[in-house]
Amino acid sequence: MANYFNTLPLREQLAQLGKCRFMHLSEFDDGVNALKGKKMVVIGCGAQGLNQGLNLRDSGLDVSYTLRAEAIAEKRQSWRNATENGFTVGTYEELVPTADIVLNLTPDKQHTAVVNAIMPLMKRGACLSYSHGFNIVEEGMKIRDDLTVIMVAPKCPGSEVRAEYVRGFGVPTLIAVHDDNDPNGEGLELAKAYAVGTGGHKAGVLMSSFIAEVKSDLMGEQTILCGMLQTGSLLCFDKMIEEGVDAGYASKLIQYGWETVTEALKYGGVTNMMDRLSNPAKIRAYDLAEELKDIMRPLYQKHQDDIMNGNFSATMMADWANDDAQLLGWRAETAETPFEKTAAGDMEISEQEYFDNGILMVAMVKAGVELAYETMTSAGIIGDSAYYESLHETPLIANTIARKKLYEMNSTISDTAEYGCYLYNNACVPLLGDFMKGIRSDVIGRGLKLNDMSVDNARLIEVNQSIRSHPVEAIGATLRGYMADMKRIV
Amino acid sequence: MITRIPASPESVQKVPGEPHEIRLDALTVDFDERFRLVDIDWRLADDQHWMITGANGSGKSALAASLAGAGQVLAGRLTGLPANVALVSYETQGQLIEAERRKDDADIMDVISEGTSVREILQEGCQDDALCSTLVEQFGLSGLMDRAFRKLSTGESRKVLLIQALTSKPDLLVLDEPFDGLDAATHRMLADHLASLAEHVPMVLVLNRFDECPDFITDIAYVEHGSLLHSISRQDEQAYAELYQLLHLKTTDLVVPSADPVSSLPALDNEQPLVRLNQVSIRYGDTTIFSDLSWTIERNQHWQLTGRNGSGKTGLLSLITGDHPQCYVNDIFVFGFQRGSGESIWQIKQYIGYVSTALQWEYRVSTSLRHVIISGFYDSIGLYSKYTDRQREIADQWLALLGMADRADQAFNQLSYGDQRLLLIARAMVKHPPLLILDEPCLGLDDMNRQLVLALIEKICAGTETSVLYVNHHPEDRIAGIDHHLSLDPA
Repeated sequence: MANYFNTLPLREQLAQLGKCRFMHLSEFDDGVNALKGKKMVVIGCGAQGLNQGLNLRDSGLDVSYTLRAEAIAEKRQSWRNATENGFTVGTYEELVPTADIVLNLTPDKQHTAVVNAIMPLMKRGACLSYSHGFNIVEEGMKIRDDLTVIMVAPKCPGSEVRAEYVRGFGVPTLIAVHDDNDPNGEGLELAKAYAVGTGGHKAGVLMSSFIAEVKSDLMGEQTILCGMLQTGSLLCFDKMIEEGVDAGYASKLIQYGWETVTEALKYGGVTNMMDRLSNPAKIRAYDLAEELKDIMRPLYQKHQDDIMNGNFSATMMADWANDDAQLLGWRAETAETPFEKTAAGDMEISEQEYFDNGILMVAMVKAGVELAYETMTSAGIIGDSAYYESLHETPLIANTIARKKLYEMNSTISDTAEYGCYLYNNACVPLLGDFMKGIRSDVIGRGLKLNDMSVDNARLIEVNQSIRSHPVEAIGATLRGYMADMKRIV
Repeated sequence: MITRIPASPESVQKVPGEPHEIRLDALTVDFDERFRLVDIDWRLADDQHWMITGANGSGKSALAASLAGAGQVLAGRLTGLPANVALVSYETQGQLIEAERRKDDADIMDVISEGTSVREILQEGCQDDALCSTLVEQFGLSGLMDRAFRKLSTGESRKVLLIQALTSKPDLLVLDEPFDGLDAATHRMLADHLASLAEHVPMVLVLNRFDECPDFITDIAYVEHGSLLHSISRQDEQAYAELYQLLHLKTTDLVVPSADPVSSLPALDNEQPLVRLNQVSIRYGDTTIFSDLSWTIERNQHWQLTGRNGSGKTGLLSLITGDHPQCYVNDIFVFGFQRGSGESIWQIKQYIGYVSTALQWEYRVSTSLRHVIISGFYDSIGLYSKYTDRQREIADQWLALLGMADRADQAFNQLSYGDQRLLLIARAMVKHPPLLILDEPCLGLDDMNRQLVLALIEKICAGTETSVLYVNHHPEDRIAGIDHHLSLDPA
């Protein structure tokens, strides 16, 4: 199999990358009708598989689960998830031939094996659905000509996909049709009905392409989402120890700090996150972020280039073939870092203190979000897509660090994201070596502690304007506006 | 969770045999700018056991929580607090459930988090393993030790927190509504245990019901609008009776606002029952909660459902509402739909009004009071639809009925626990559903509000087309007009 993206001519590559449109609610007036009475068979019963299935069934659709024969025989967790929730469960041979649409909700790594196993069993003219396009775009999986291939990708964890549906709402969702596999021209109707069935249409649907989804998703997860947070955690912790800050405090400031500062990001973008700082601290954070962006820009570009030309996926697939030797090695190294091994102290840190004493962390988030967004859009990815894959998902990843540090983050994200995160971290830590030499505990660990909070008006106006006029802020305000009713206490 | 006060210069190591007292001197405490305790003067001696009471929203829970270090002291002094204060309240229970929920919410790709087990929760801070085992047995939790905490029923998770507090060897035990949600047998067992514990541990109990006041209580504090209005000795019979009276305000005449003629529901076939369950069961793995249960609710019948903690009351209700995934593997007919025949859950929910403690915890949105009521027209938690002027008018009538007209734009999550409950009942009734399900609607309410709620339910039973399905532990909370009874306890 060859990298599909690389087989396309440049104009087609650009056209696919540039596909992204926010759909209007009225485009979903047909509801779930396109799927009504059709047999939906889900492969995989993890968090996405189970929760999407629960929503689809509650929307009046016919859902069952197919698992590998071993998983059924050994009554594995996936089997228990499906049966305890009252779903029919059967082997590939039993259920796939009956399916009008097969929902492949297994991890990337299993896609080739799974799709090769089920494709011969699928009935003529059926539909195969993905929620991530890696298998099609990077591995070049060729699907039988008579099958329709679509993607429906909720941009939130499975548990949230369910929780929002039950509340009568949904989560933002990306849909796409694989142009090479739309023999009956029904792909879009099916994808729309699927998005309605999971409740996604209420929170906003982006009509995109397999290629735009893969190239933006990979970029976001390796750089700002996971990579930047890992690198930032390790560097900030080591710096605080060097500066004599209490180790328990340093550990806690970082573990819960990402969650706290990105919560502000979620509600009001980079602008609101920066506005949580005092004026002098905001100017410091701004300057640090500018410096960070200059240093890290070539690294972000390299990641995007490697994703675009297929080097990244080729490198990672070589590691798959080598029993994940690199992945497991890096995972073990991460577990041995001082930050990971130091338990958070039991002192109180107020919400505001996370900002005041975490100025450098705020600067890192700002620099990472803006760089990821700039790099994606300059590579031809549309702003809406770049926003969801950078700013929108950062708080979700930050939550995992608050739970159990980097271990938790890396064990809950996909192996693909984890592999990219280590690549980024391994390059970014040395890259920021000189920069970190100039850092003191006033911007990480202790706060500025100024008696005089005054700032120069002209300078403050200049900084505020620069923050507010970044393109990720305009697109973010629009997209968050669509979800204005979802004012929830998290 | 158990709240422990870190040893501060003001916390006191008790010297055995020496009298000692906790003093609140002109204490003003702020709770997130939502609520304020004002100018509290209070002495709690070593040999006293207090009951705190007052109306919903008066500050009972705040006063109790202040003893565990909650809130920010703005003025005055709080001295003499012992080192280990254990607090159990709806708020701490809700926080722990929320914390467990967040562990689950935070997953990103494909891992199902089981959450912390009951065993792990109980081990945290346990100072007496033997006592812990005894209580686990007495509370009937032995079979649940490896269950994830967040999967417990409301009553079960309450018991876990109580055991956690009782086994922490507290110097002061503060329990906010400890008996609420417990069935009669468990209630007695806990009361007995507290009575024996009272011999060497001072206690502060927040209680909404005077009739639940245990014999060992020596003093009563009455709170109103954040102030400690009365603190009386139990032996002062005259004062005790007056205080009881004060809580028993007369209920006003209630008129239920009409339904919205425009957004009325698709008509039901009068010949068919509202609900028909045929030999239904709920099973988790090898555990059967109940099985072979058949039940028909005809139009205009009112039902009371009872059963001990863990008997599956809420599970049974959720088979009807469609919130239980096993509704698809049972023979269930509701509102004209045979479940699993291609109907959507929203087609079912439109015929049901629903209130429960769990719903209250789910309703974690900072929506205004008016919007909470309007969301009842759309069966959503939070409001995601454009509403009509008529719906807004009806919502305002309900707010007036509840005495909250001037608070229409206030945020729901800033209301007291009891006021939230009243509002959710209004939300459930706003569309005049054919079936109103009230799952322990009086849990956590004080006498006055309990009477208000019960009077409201009686009005609904008598004056509307709605069938009421009422779940409650307290036999004295019977409602005139409810004449059918289903018990899930073994005969």
